[in-house]
Amino acid sequence: MILLILRRLLGFALTLLAVSAAVFFVMNVLPGDPAIVILGIEATEDARAALRAQLGLNDPAIWRYLAWLGGAVQGDFGVSYSFKVPVAELIAERLPMTLALAGLATVMTVALALALGVYAASHHGRAGDWAVMAFSQLGIAVPAFWLSMLLVILFAVTLRWLPPGGFPGWDDPLAALRALIMPATALALVQTAVLARVTRSAMLEVMRQTYVRTATATGLGPARVMWRHALPNALVPIVTIIGMQVANLVTGTIVIENVFYLPGLGRLVFQAISNRDLIVVQAMVTLFAAIVVSANFIVDLAYLWIDPRLRPRS
Amino acid sequence: MLAMRELSVGFAGGLALRRATLSVARGERLGVAGESGSGKTMLGLACLGMLPEVAVVTGSVRFDGGELVGAAERDLRRLRGQRIAMVFQEPLSALNPLRRVGELIAEPLRLHRGLSRAAALDRACALLSEVGLPDPASRLRQYPHEMSGGQRQRVTIALALACDPDLLIADEPTTALDVQVAAHILALLRALSESRRMALILISHDLRAIAAVTDRLAVLYGGDIIEEGPTADVLAAPRHPYTQGLIAARPTLSARRDRNAPLPTIPGTVPALAHLPPGCRFAGRCPVELPVCRSTRPAGNPACHRGGP
Amino acid sequence: MRVQANLMIGATLVAVVLGTAALSLVWTPHEATRIAVALKFQPPSWAHPLGTDQLGRDVVSQLMLGARTSMTIALVAVLLGGGIGTALGLLAAAVGGWVDEVVMRLADFSFAFPALLFAIMLAAVFGPSLANAVIAIAFINVPVFARVARAAAAQVWTRGYVLAAQSAGRGRLAITRDHVIPNVLAPVTVQLTIEFAVAILAEAALSYLGLGAQPPTPSWGRMLSEAQTLLYLAPQLAIWPGLCIMVAVMGFNLLGDGVRDLSDPMLRRTR
Repeated sequence: MILLILRRLLGFALTLLAVSAAVFFVMNVLPGDPAIVILGIEATEDARAALRAQLGLNDPAIWRYLAWLGGAVQGDFGVSYSFKVPVAELIAERLPMTLALAGLATVMTVALALALGVYAASHHGRAGDWAVMAFSQLGIAVPAFWLSMLLVILFAVTLRWLPPGGFPGWDDPLAALRALIMPATALALVQTAVLARVTRSAMLEVMRQTYVRTATATGLGPARVMWRHALPNALVPIVTIIGMQVANLVTGTIVIENVFYLPGLGRLVFQAISNRDLIVVQAMVTLFAAIVVSANFIVDLAYLWIDPRLRPRS
Repeated sequence: MLAMRELSVGFAGGLALRRATLSVARGERLGVAGESGSGKTMLGLACLGMLPEVAVVTGSVRFDGGELVGAAERDLRRLRGQRIAMVFQEPLSALNPLRRVGELIAEPLRLHRGLSRAAALDRACALLSEVGLPDPASRLRQYPHEMSGGQRQRVTIALALACDPDLLIADEPTTALDVQVAAHILALLRALSESRRMALILISHDLRAIAAVTDRLAVLYGGDIIEEGPTADVLAAPRHPYTQGLIAARPTLSARRDRNAPLPTIPGTVPALAHLPPGCRFAGRCPVELPVCRSTRPAGNPACHRGGP
Repeated sequence: MRVQANLMIGATLVAVVLGTAALSLVWTPHEATRIAVALKFQPPSWAHPLGTDQLGRDVVSQLMLGARTSMTIALVAVLLGGGIGTALGLLAAAVGGWVDEVVMRLADFSFAFPALLFAIMLAAVFGPSLANAVIAIAFINVPVFARVARAAAAQVWTRGYVLAAQSAGRGRLAITRDHVIPNVLAPVTVQLTIEFAVAILAEAALSYLGLGAQPPTPSWGRMLSEAQTLLYLAPQLAIWPGLCIMVAVMGFNLLGDGVRDLSDPMLRRTR
């Protein structure tokens, strides 16, 4: 068991390494001279030479990568060219906002999707099932940022219940929650559409199994049969999709932060792009990709936790 | 104790069970024989009120005087597991693969009997030993996939026995098991029924299994109960042409049989639900068919227009 | 019955969107990008069925051109990524061994980069452009198609008649052409339809963020980002482009589901 986890861990580390190398290659080697990217073609050759010296661009690429990687594992992603502060500081400032948004959206997604999926499966072929499927088909086709605008039109412009955007900070938790509720809902509804559908079909598959009948035949109530016996057996495909949705969650968060002017990592990336701040963008893209890879790693471990049949015999 | 009267189970395609009348007394062992598609599984599910929702059910199933057809789910749930238990076919998939065997057996005990976790596990351990599993204490911590088919079937029986039911329904409990293991399981079922004074309904296509375990036998064909009587009598002197065919088609190990003769079979197959004939459902395959057989459903025991030999 | 419904509704929606995009090549009610500030925020009328925007541009004409942009980007990106991916998948299945291993590892690994991340990298280095968006969307399609094609092809390679052809001395290329590709076509087509829907959503998001279509190219995503600043003034401008995206995506999704049900004889029999 421990050996298996260690092997997965090694694979995970290698993937992270490959991801960071790929990002470094695209952002430092592909463009030729990062100094031109950062300063633009109008800058004087002297200014560029100075920047190259400052960023260590005269060293060979592989050396620069190793130096960057060495810093990154210690939490040092270099100094932002436009903000003039360490990238790690920039990230640390904005991380709580993004984590809160992503976390809230995930909790809402999982709760809503499992409820809807289980409900649809236990009402298979009836009106409730049909409604969930229609909602799902609709939700899959709606971009989260458009749904956000519709929510703003309804709850901010028309009803004036919620602020249309911006973030008041964490001093007033209630105000912070009010600012997050629409963005999180927009993210969650779109993800729920996919997850509810997968939950439904996984549940339908499991409900055909004899052990579900056995549970009913021993006198367990329908809720207990569904949630304690059927759902755990449907979890493997559900968790797989949740893992894949983390990629959507990352991009979704970036988009939604821009819709609602939330000062998180998603906003930072766009500021960095318009400032041509390669150092920041590189750190952020690596970070986001690492989150996606980590999610897949966690899903791999979750399989072992869910299903004893997948564990190696001890 | 259990009395089924004129029970019909209908689906969009036709009747899976047609006006079935049967009864089981306390401690009695009843065999229900039939090929796949004869409606025998529906008969078992009907006793637990677990027929599919799309089924149209008429007639009556009474257990200890209480009506099960159309009963509230809540009342049925009080019977299931506690008064009437069922062992399904396919022992390999009848146990939730994600739960330890101990937890599986303990769950109904804690729920119905309000036992503490420790007490329920103790009881589970005793049950495993009652169904003949060696080293029951360590079995409690095993997962179903860590056991063999026969062991798993013993576990499902222990699970069914957990709350001391008065009636156990075993639906093809020995399919997918080796012949020897199957024989052990059948002997176990018989012994448990005797020691616990528990009624048993054994549903099977295998007449030998039914002969080994039961006192009384009902033969199902195409949703009709076509013959019923003491097991030994029916097997010794079958009166319905279908029962006769079924017994003749049973392979024997007898050395007297001519090795070169083809195995006797009943020509044709059980009619599909959608194409059931209006009269006797065996019409068309019956070797002694009369013109009336095609049009009118025979009644009586045996349910045959010839009225037996 | 349901199979038919999926297919019919999906095909109809797709036909409408593709037809509109094609029509916009030759005719729009007005010149979509002509600015007439005097006519800004016109309510719906016979001349402007959905009114005009903040610069007096006709909304219907812009939506039509948006359909063209969306369809073109999706088509190019999915065909590009799908083509490369399918080729890699076929290669992996035909050669096997370490080539297979390398291709599949690369596919696993590229899932770490959603389209938006890839587009962000390209935008930071080369500046935002529609071409970057196409490359980013094509990129995410490569591993998807590589997996689909490899799975379908690997199945064919184990069949008796392929083994027979192989032992008769037929080359891997010839077998791939004659036996494998015809069997891979169905799943790849289904995937194309579904990825088309994904690509429409991705283009809309990238254009909305300014990483895709650049002014003055009309695009549904860009129309939404302009409308967003005017939500209090003219909320109707935020409705139509989103509806267009939804209809297009839903059309391709339903069509994909329908085609899959149709091409899967097992499924068809059980319905």
